[in-house]
Amino acid sequence: MTVLDVQDLTTTYGAVRALDGVTFTAPEGKVTAVLGANGAGKTTLLRTLSGLVPPTRGTATLGDTDLLSTPAEEMTRAGLAHVPEGRGVIAQLTVEENLRLGSLGARPQTERRFGLERVFGLFPLLGDRSNQVAHTLSGGERQMLVIARALLAEPSILLLDEPSLGLAPRVVGQIFDLLRGLVDEQGLTVLLVEQNARSALSIADVGLVLDLGKVVVHDDARTLVDDSSLRHAYLGF
Amino acid sequence: MQQLLSILLTGLTLGAVYAAFALALVMIWRSTRIVNFAQAPMAMVTTYVALVLIDAGASYWVGFVAALLSGFLLGAVIERLVVRHVEGKAEINAVILTLGLFIVLHSLAAIVFGARFRSFPAPFGIRGFQVGDSTVPLTGFGIFTLVAVLVVMGLLVALFRGTDIGLRMRAAAFGPEVARLLGVKVGRMLTLGWALASVVGSLAGILIAGGGLVHPGYMDSVVVYGFVAAVLGGLDSPGGAVVGGLALGLTLSLVSGYVGSEVVPLSALLVLVVVLLVRPGGLFATVHERRV
Repeated sequence: MTVLDVQDLTTTYGAVRALDGVTFTAPEGKVTAVLGANGAGKTTLLRTLSGLVPPTRGTATLGDTDLLSTPAEEMTRAGLAHVPEGRGVIAQLTVEENLRLGSLGARPQTERRFGLERVFGLFPLLGDRSNQVAHTLSGGERQMLVIARALLAEPSILLLDEPSLGLAPRVVGQIFDLLRGLVDEQGLTVLLVEQNARSALSIADVGLVLDLGKVVVHDDARTLVDDSSLRHAYLGF
Repeated sequence: MQQLLSILLTGLTLGAVYAAFALALVMIWRSTRIVNFAQAPMAMVTTYVALVLIDAGASYWVGFVAALLSGFLLGAVIERLVVRHVEGKAEINAVILTLGLFIVLHSLAAIVFGARFRSFPAPFGIRGFQVGDSTVPLTGFGIFTLVAVLVVMGLLVALFRGTDIGLRMRAAAFGPEVARLLGVKVGRMLTLGWALASVVGSLAGILIAGGGLVHPGYMDSVVVYGFVAAVLGGLDSPGGAVVGGLALGLTLSLVSGYVGSEVVPLSALLVLVVVLLVRPGGLFATVHERRV
């Protein structure tokens, strides 16, 4: 089943087309990896979907919700959680306050999949540090905090922008394994923007390659990994 | 001894008012990165609102509450209608805008309320208590000033630390974009922030006025000391604003008592320069360097 449906999405910054007629669907309960070089439009795609940047053309729907007419501050209530690039921890607040913000914006629904208890179970480190100010956390801990905070908003889709940025490979592995577990056990849908194509494809079901704002490849993650000419042309490994 | 006690108590009371004024500046700086030069005339206008009510026969307390409420409204309206347009733009725009507001509010007040001096009542005695044959230099109004400032600060701490709306306000101030993505209506929080800061400024205004004279420029000297107090503490730190205000009040009172009241403005400048030389970010700075 499709959760996110994007058609002909175009976003321009002045004369530059950052997204040029992007069309794809993200299937429910799967990880869709969005790959591509610097400036390919990956971050713009997420920022357009979550209402931070206005598109010039196209449609995007999440279930029954028209995303493009939903303001950014209503996104979590519509079921979309966006973890921006560069972590997005509010460093002056404590770990617990950051998490509480996630719950405050939660989608109104009867069933809660993730409570604070559950999140502390998934990320025991955060439980130990709940009263610490967030700027004392390491890079990996911050990434865990923002993912935990996004989960508390009970999203139907989670948008992650470069979660591996600046993290040690071991930590990246930990975080990606955890994400895959959430997808398999909770039926979470993830749209994962990454430059680190190899790691992203290791947990993704579907891969999407952007080049200069256009979708150039959209295929099973397995196929992408196996096709060496594709890998060399766009993914650099 | 008697003189020292008197000077310290006067300084503490004055310091509490400077602290409130500095806190209002810090609240606005923290949420919108704007130095609100119009803080003083805003407080002047709300004090006039109280004065008009009191002159029409209302009690001091009706005027007091009206001043704070009109402060809330004035802060919200100014943020929503005027300041919103310069938020996130070049800093100089905001500086020019709030300086412009300063002049506009001054002139409007002179037109509407008149430019003459008018006396403002105090709810408690402004003479010291009589103990035996000596006078304790603590006045009823002085105690009221201290209590009022402490209560308002306590309420603010409770709001910011203990409630969901306070958490949303802090999130909107520290990380506007992330806060939006978490469902915080950032624009509304900034309006509320300005409104609350303006209440605190109004409190300083009506406390300064009590038992004295008001005219459209009566708050202007407080601006200077309020700014010095805010910068002493570090513009980013509410606790610093309070400590800075009290420290400045005590210092200026000591200078006034032992050196002479004519050097008070000079000593405020001296304190500011020394603190900025030793700790450029202020005494309680949370950041160690800042873009200039």
